[in-house]
Amino acid sequence: MSVLARPAFTPGWSKAFGTNGALAAGSAILALFVLAALFAPLIAPYDPIAQDAAARLAAPSLLHPFGTDNFGRDILSRVIWGTRIDLQMAFFGVVFPFLIGTVVGTVAGFFGGVVDALLMRLIDIILAFPFLVLMLSIIAILGPGLSSFYIAMALVGWVSYARLVRAQILVLKTQDYAVAATSLGFGRLRIMFRHLLPNAIAGSVVFVMSDAVLVLLNGAAISYLGLGVQPPVAEWGVMVAEGQPFVTTAWWVTLFPGLSIVALAFGFSLLGDGLGQRLGVAE
Amino acid sequence: MHRYRFVLTRPLQFLPVLFGISVITFILVRLIPGDPARVILGTRATPTAIANIRAQYGLDEPLIAQYFYFLRNLAQGQMGRSILYKIDVLRLIGTRVEPTLVLVLASVVLSVLIAVPMAALAARNQGKAADQAVRIVSTLGIGFPPFWLGLMLIIVLSVQLSLFPVSGYGNTLADKLAHIALPSLTIALSLSAVLTRSLRVSMIAMLSSDIATAARARGMPERIVFWRHVFPNSLVPTINLLAVNIGWLIGGTVVVESVFAIPGMGQLLVRAIFSRDYMVVQGVAMAFACATVLVNFLADLATVAADPRIKL
Amino acid sequence: MSSTLLSVRDLSVSVRSEAAPRLLLDRVSLDLGRGEILGLVGESGSGKSLFCRSLVRLLPSRALVIDSGTVLLEGQDLLQASEADMLAVRGGRIGMIFQNPTSHLDPVMRVGDQIAEGIRFHQGLGKAAAREAALEILAQVGFPDPKRQYLSYPHEFSGGMRQRAMIGVALSCQPDILIADEPTTALDVTIQAQILRLLTEIRDRTRLSIILITHDLGVVAQTCDRIAVMRGGRVVEENTKRALLAAPGHAYTKALIASHPSIPARLSPVTTTEAKAASPLRPLLEVDDLHVSFPSGAGLFSGQPRVFNALNGVSLRVMPGETVGIVGESGSGKSTLARAILGLNPIASGHVAFEGSNLATQRNATLAKLRTDAAMVFQDPYNALNPRMTVGETLAEVLRVQNKVQPAQIKARIDELLDLVGLDRDFATRKPRSMSGGQCQRAGIARALAVDPKLIIADECVAALDVTIQAQIVDLFRDLQRKMNLTLLFIAHDLAIVRNLCERVVVMHHGKIVEEGRSADVFAMPSHAYTAALISAIPDIDPDRPLHALPLRRADSLRGMSSLSLQPST
Repeated sequence: MSVLARPAFTPGWSKAFGTNGALAAGSAILALFVLAALFAPLIAPYDPIAQDAAARLAAPSLLHPFGTDNFGRDILSRVIWGTRIDLQMAFFGVVFPFLIGTVVGTVAGFFGGVVDALLMRLIDIILAFPFLVLMLSIIAILGPGLSSFYIAMALVGWVSYARLVRAQILVLKTQDYAVAATSLGFGRLRIMFRHLLPNAIAGSVVFVMSDAVLVLLNGAAISYLGLGVQPPVAEWGVMVAEGQPFVTTAWWVTLFPGLSIVALAFGFSLLGDGLGQRLGVAE
Repeated sequence: MHRYRFVLTRPLQFLPVLFGISVITFILVRLIPGDPARVILGTRATPTAIANIRAQYGLDEPLIAQYFYFLRNLAQGQMGRSILYKIDVLRLIGTRVEPTLVLVLASVVLSVLIAVPMAALAARNQGKAADQAVRIVSTLGIGFPPFWLGLMLIIVLSVQLSLFPVSGYGNTLADKLAHIALPSLTIALSLSAVLTRSLRVSMIAMLSSDIATAARARGMPERIVFWRHVFPNSLVPTINLLAVNIGWLIGGTVVVESVFAIPGMGQLLVRAIFSRDYMVVQGVAMAFACATVLVNFLADLATVAADPRIKL
Repeated sequence: MSSTLLSVRDLSVSVRSEAAPRLLLDRVSLDLGRGEILGLVGESGSGKSLFCRSLVRLLPSRALVIDSGTVLLEGQDLLQASEADMLAVRGGRIGMIFQNPTSHLDPVMRVGDQIAEGIRFHQGLGKAAAREAALEILAQVGFPDPKRQYLSYPHEFSGGMRQRAMIGVALSCQPDILIADEPTTALDVTIQAQILRLLTEIRDRTRLSIILITHDLGVVAQTCDRIAVMRGGRVVEENTKRALLAAPGHAYTKALIASHPSIPARLSPVTTTEAKAASPLRPLLEVDDLHVSFPSGAGLFSGQPRVFNALNGVSLRVMPGETVGIVGESGSGKSTLARAILGLNPIASGHVAFEGSNLATQRNATLAKLRTDAAMVFQDPYNALNPRMTVGETLAEVLRVQNKVQPAQIKARIDELLDLVGLDRDFATRKPRSMSGGQCQRAGIARALAVDPKLIIADECVAALDVTIQAQIVDLFRDLQRKMNLTLLFIAHDLAIVRNLCERVVVMHHGKIVEEGRSADVFAMPSHAYTAALISAIPDIDPDRPLHALPLRRADSLRGMSSLSLQPST
């Protein structure tokens, strides 16, 4: 429709930000968690691993706003300190796969041929395993712990990015401007990284946010199962697992760490939606 | 119907994937530090048993040869013996398939039943309150950790309202369904959030598509435009989405089976990891991978049935 | 003129935006008589489609509102009618067909069922009766085997047959008025002629009134009774066809008529051949028995790999300074030829030689030569430029890579290039999305010129542009050709443009050259039947030179073996 032709070009950061509620809200939520993580020692009212036998399983009160667990540890302080671990998990669990996957996807998509075919088969095979099952299997070999989690993430997580970027590159390299670049004698590296990748990357940047949610949930789940972060370190998944035996009597032990996961995930999702709207990418 | 010819050819294309799955599971176990024979048999194995295993798996021969021993054993249905349960791994997995299968099926059905009306409601009221509500709820829902959501559902629906059993798996069909209700609801709630979000987007795109415009221009009421034109055209993305999320779904069952103590393959996997029962880990991983391949095949079949344009 | 069926008075539509509301339709008034075909002419953005959508109150965006006016359909004001009444009007009284039948037909519903749907809804017929009626309609709109084709899905038909199906779907509701929104723009010229013929036949048979929206004056000249010209949301001129074409009153109408390509050129094609003939030059480009094929639908397990032969032995010589037009319909292989010449497509057999250097035998050396001495201009001006780079960055990059200009001179050279293509120098800082199609195309031409090429291949480079912009770009090429002594290979499906610009023309069909010669000769006396059919199918702006809708190789219109369309649909 003619009236729906290209939207008028509206420069101005504040204007774009103003109409993008998801981006603003997501950034705000994420900023809150980052601040909590940075200033955990200052904000947290108690030592997250200090036990207090007298205050076991105390219900939320002014003294302990989120209550205490069965060792008398302050849940609020543990939730705040847990922010450090869970944010770190989401960050490193996404960054390595993103970098590996983007390069692999670009190269495979651009050159095609045997390299591409082999890489795609490898990706098919990795994708045949349910994500968490493969993660758990790798962790079973490496032994429980956070570093095992990161290694497993790097081994498995790049696949989605590679697929995403490759699909984009395959489309973009048939676009006229890519053909034009070839016909103008541009080198392959220039075409790949200056003309194709910047146009292909928007989708993965948005995907980074929804992937961060997945990584966060999986990291917490693995810790919940006892195969990730180990007690007594305060991590939200671990805290839920520790509260499970008391779930019928002391609901606050499991409720608050779980809510933190939900809130952080919500922040990532909103940020992803906002970025998608901003970059003009629909998932 | 030549469009369905792929039913015959597609399994051939699975061969490389199945081959890859076998290689990966083989390598996984070989990567475990220590004597592979002890990895297979556990630390308290007798010397005779170890000698037998060395022969059966060709452990004294080069790695490539070991792989072929592994394949031969697989072909004979030999996937090793569980250290923990003291029975054959294949038989062990066999006893665990049913709860997981029931859980997965129930979760898929529930999540589609939740997602389709939610997405339709949002898409047909785009920008209005109902749409905003669905968007916020589904965006929140994606971030619900299944293990925690399960516990919360237990508190409210089992403990407070006594609607469902807290954990375990029953014997009769009705009993089983009652036990599976909460776990499948747990998975369905987070899966339907993913489905709702995508389905909403594709339905909105379809509602403003040329197909919908053409239908409206012929005087079709919105109800017919939606259910006869928009919805059928949104089916293919939904099926693909389900197929893509099968990994997520199975991951969910692994965790949820642990939360609700359901004796399925997921719980078996977690227990096996803790007991260093590596043959079981290997077997379950392989079984899950093969199941995923099968699901993708079924999804292809459904896609071809739903869209006459697609040829595979 | 017969009795008035539809009467529109002072219809205004505006868009609500954050800033001030903008008027998109400004007090438009039009009448439509029973059995009349009214042509609504204008360029993109003129409001002609919006006008028609407003009649049935199906606005393409919620930001659009009908401000005022009346739309009287036999006395009933549609703007005041209830939504329930409108359901009966849409389709039942006023039907619509669209430019792109592929996207407007439901891909997962059988063609027959889509026609039957309207019959059941608007006429309340039962299932079996609706099926019978649908079969009849399929036959009416030219499906040779309705019983079989009832069960087919839209994707199984060619573009022309899909448009027939769309017409069938519209007719199924038995409307009094049919709005046809650019119904033939996406079709090849021979198919266009068939569809236009079909519409006039239906009108003659059923006294259907038709509003035909188009940008092509030739189309209205051939089919319509009356013409309304729209620009910027207003009707600038309205009259009976002959009166309007013979004596246009408004300056814009005059410009439209003047830029219509079927008018014999005011400027004769650039003729430099005489000058060239004196100096015995070797050809700049030589193509000899070129074959190009693509794998089509070959599967690992589906037996023999099938190939689609896009080029079947093409031979061509282009002398330096020549302007050669290549014409043909979609799928004729003309774009493939362009890409093969530039070494962008693999060659199955045959030779391409550029300045005597052979692409098949000395691939790398020839490619290097092509990259520095040849450039291409593309069809979709937006798609041809990297959306993330400004025009200045795009040009600077070419200049840097080509290394023909000192780095210090790059800035000056960019200004020079922008001047050459008629863009203001401050366009250097703009990105494609903030530019119009014509401006983007000029930037694309500037990028080609940045190479300082001996040969420019322009692939359908005006097909996506409005007529007046087309004329400007063609003038630009003519200008550049004269100034810089360029060799130009101009690919187009629009024969009239080629006739105006090129001294020599090559006609392609199914991957072969079927005719070749001086433009004037070929167009005056085509020797090949296909060329003749192609020329006679062009809607002429002169209503007294009627359209020949030859049923040219019926098999072509049905999806056959050569279904692979090489030309990106516009």
